[in-house]
Amino acid sequence: MIILYKLFLQQCIRTKEVWISLLLITLLGVIGIIIGDKHLERQEDAIAEVKTHQKQHFDRQVSLHNKDLGLLLYYTKFAYVNTVNSLAGISIGQADVNPTIKQITIKTFEAQKYDTDLVNPMNLQSGNLDLSFVIIYLFPLLVIVMTFNIVSEETETGTWNLVVIQARSKLGFIIAKLLIRLMLLYTILLFLFGIAKLILNLPLDTHFFWMLGLSMLYIFFWFTLTFFIISFKKLSGFNASLLLSIWLVLIILLPAGVNAYVSSKYPVSEALSTAIAQRDGYHVKWDTDKLATIEKFYQHYPQFKKYGYPIDGFSWLWYYAMQQMGDDDSRKQQNALNKKIKLREQTSKRIASIIPNMHLQLLFNQLAGTSMSQQMDYLNATNAFHEKLRLFFYPKIFEDKHADTIDWNQFKPEYYDVEVNLQPMQSMIPLIIASIIMLLISIPKMKRL
Amino acid sequence: MKWANVRLFALNFWQNATTPKTFYLLFSIFILLTAYAAVSGIKKYSSQNNIRQEHQNKARQSWEANPDKHPHRMAHFGTFAFRINPSLAIFDYGLESFTGNTVFLEAHRQNSVNFSEATFSTGMLRFGELSLALLLQLVLPLILFFVGFSTVAADRQNGTLKMLLSQGASWKEILFGKSLGLFAISLLFFIPILVIVSLALLIIGDQTINNLTWIRLLLISLGYLAFLAIIAGLTVAVSTSSTTPKNALLRLLGIWLLLVVLLPKSAQAMGNYWFPTPSKLAFQSAIEKEVIQKGDSHNPNDPHYNNLKDSVLTVHKVSKVVDLPFNYSGFVMREGEKITSALYRKHHTKLVNIFKSQNDITRFSSFINPFTAIKQLSMTMAGTDFSSYIDFQNKADDYRYQLAQTMNELQMEYISPKKESGSEGKTHVVNHQHWQEFRDFNHIPMGFGNSLKEAFPALISILLWVIGVLGLLVFTSKKARAI
Repeated sequence: MIILYKLFLQQCIRTKEVWISLLLITLLGVIGIIIGDKHLERQEDAIAEVKTHQKQHFDRQVSLHNKDLGLLLYYTKFAYVNTVNSLAGISIGQADVNPTIKQITIKTFEAQKYDTDLVNPMNLQSGNLDLSFVIIYLFPLLVIVMTFNIVSEETETGTWNLVVIQARSKLGFIIAKLLIRLMLLYTILLFLFGIAKLILNLPLDTHFFWMLGLSMLYIFFWFTLTFFIISFKKLSGFNASLLLSIWLVLIILLPAGVNAYVSSKYPVSEALSTAIAQRDGYHVKWDTDKLATIEKFYQHYPQFKKYGYPIDGFSWLWYYAMQQMGDDDSRKQQNALNKKIKLREQTSKRIASIIPNMHLQLLFNQLAGTSMSQQMDYLNATNAFHEKLRLFFYPKIFEDKHADTIDWNQFKPEYYDVEVNLQPMQSMIPLIIASIIMLLISIPKMKRL
Repeated sequence: MKWANVRLFALNFWQNATTPKTFYLLFSIFILLTAYAAVSGIKKYSSQNNIRQEHQNKARQSWEANPDKHPHRMAHFGTFAFRINPSLAIFDYGLESFTGNTVFLEAHRQNSVNFSEATFSTGMLRFGELSLALLLQLVLPLILFFVGFSTVAADRQNGTLKMLLSQGASWKEILFGKSLGLFAISLLFFIPILVIVSLALLIIGDQTINNLTWIRLLLISLGYLAFLAIIAGLTVAVSTSSTTPKNALLRLLGIWLLLVVLLPKSAQAMGNYWFPTPSKLAFQSAIEKEVIQKGDSHNPNDPHYNNLKDSVLTVHKVSKVVDLPFNYSGFVMREGEKITSALYRKHHTKLVNIFKSQNDITRFSSFINPFTAIKQLSMTMAGTDFSSYIDFQNKADDYRYQLAQTMNELQMEYISPKKESGSEGKTHVVNHQHWQEFRDFNHIPMGFGNSLKEAFPALISILLWVIGVLGLLVFTSKKARAI
């Protein structure tokens, strides 16, 4: 038996094409990991930069506006950092378009919430060549290249009849050939994950193994798919074109179609409405009744009522009350926006669960903390951070405290830890079901092999 | 090479290709995809533009609804610029989903352009979007490969080739004839798309006068025709130089994969690696540092502004700013806006140049990759490329600058010099008539000339590719063997 497997292995890696594609995918995998590492490095540099900058920034502001805390806080920015999960080096996901560091003032939050980093849209469009790309796009191709002719080559060269006579089971023969290839690909996958572990300094935690396990399942799914196709015993050329067409439909056309559907069905006009609503919510208050503005502010924060109603001329209390109204008066539009984003996410997820590659991409991003929902969580956490700052500074501004009475060292950049909300079984089920379905529909064909 | 023979081979190819049922299956699938892409493209275009136009109007309404107030309040009230898509965006989305569409314009601050589709998308968007351009760039070449891979290789295998050659046909005639036939097949797929886009343009109408949409479409069409000819010639050449049809197909698919997926992605990754983007913080602090050096209007002890004050006072022969004939604080803000805007422009241009260097790797890879060439040409001519986006950013920022300076000048002119600082209250105000006088932001897409300049490398490379493929066919015809 062992000799047979050894023979199969030799047969499999005998051809030049297979060798080249195996080498190529390993090379691309390593490049993907290096690109991921570069991404992590950039993020870490940016975080280090923020740390040193924040201290100097505070020093300068305090020296300029020591006596005017209200003005100081008009300018002062506080950093809130989305801690980089090192698995993001495997699946960069949305982390290239969404900022991982927010520097916010205590003014209207909505005006700052969606500010973007400096990004080159061409980079975004072309997407990242990270390890997740290699696994999701390229491994299936390798599966196809290695398996499309394992039966047809025997029939085409005339050795199939020998197999029929000699092998105890034809099915066993084919499965053995497939298994040896599956093992070969798993070896490469394990090797790449090993490299990733070393280069990206990944902890060997559940998320890491989960990612590995999902990748293995995904590759297994593609094997069941090719198994189904080759069981028709058609010519090699036919198998190759059919399998590649399936690849094209699953990996390019279907997702592209789904995107077109989601973006035209759920346009995010609420984002634009929110932007205008928060602007008006604040700015219009310069011309409306000051008393009403302050009263509204006290309705939100009754604890500050003791600071009274300074309505003669300019006062910081009135000013920050107006700023607060930018957030408070655009609440309706914000809620509509959040609802729309959730709807888009749910639709995507639902559709993705029946398309293995899309499902895997979403899971990878989720595990790496680079998904859209996690970005929204981070933005909500930033909102809470913003609220904390407000509550800390409002009374100090209203009491006309000098800036040097505050210990600015307590305001180091704060960190947010991404939460990964995934049920292990639930996430694997779509892949397992897809594989089982492929196997089930292959069974009737098997008997006629 | 006799034209009659070439025509014969072309016609023969056409007949052979269009006989099998699978061809009609492929064709119907493609037409269905075309219909889907067209409907979602038109829907997306009109709903997005409606949304943006509607919000542009809404923002304008609240701008005009402002009562008499201090102009500096209006400078901060600001307004929004919404990016409008050019009508050819129904055909090629280009970077549309990855560029922001909304920017808040106010005094002193250059805000980021927000709310790109990508920020509200799950990781799925990176798989691509189904547009008519994508069908032509990705799917149609594959179909041509499927239709044409066996044309010469199969003739060789079943011996037809030997007979043809012995009867007096030349290799050149065979290769050019078959390429022409395959090219004609590609028109069967291309023309419906062209018709749909033209009809849609007629219905939508040209919103901007100087945009030359039809000439853009003409150039796009010529580009795609050249591209399809390149693919047809390439397919026949590969089929000729491969021993078996299977080999030809595998080679063609390998080429597709390399040129469509791997090369473009690696080119952009290389650009990104060689020309790293600075962090936002580094970008902003660099500007801030230079502003402090040049003069910080917000610093009461800034030497630049103290000198300025002294010289202004000397010129007007007064001793206090409140005795000047204009509002001094407006004057300072005008000066400040000038300095900070110039510095911002300088740094922003530097940043855009970094992005351009990153993209240049892709742009110039068109010389080794016809797929990239057509992609660049298509989105540049459609007006959905990088340069069009930067053009929008610049136009929005020009408007922002005008807004800020107009308000500063209103302040200098109409606000009493006695009002030294502050913009609160109802006493020192300017008539609200002025708000309506200041024109609204109206996004006019980048002009044709600039698009053409941008698309120039892609255009040249497509032409070179056409010549190259013709050369390849001649070369193959000389080397080709019948057995």
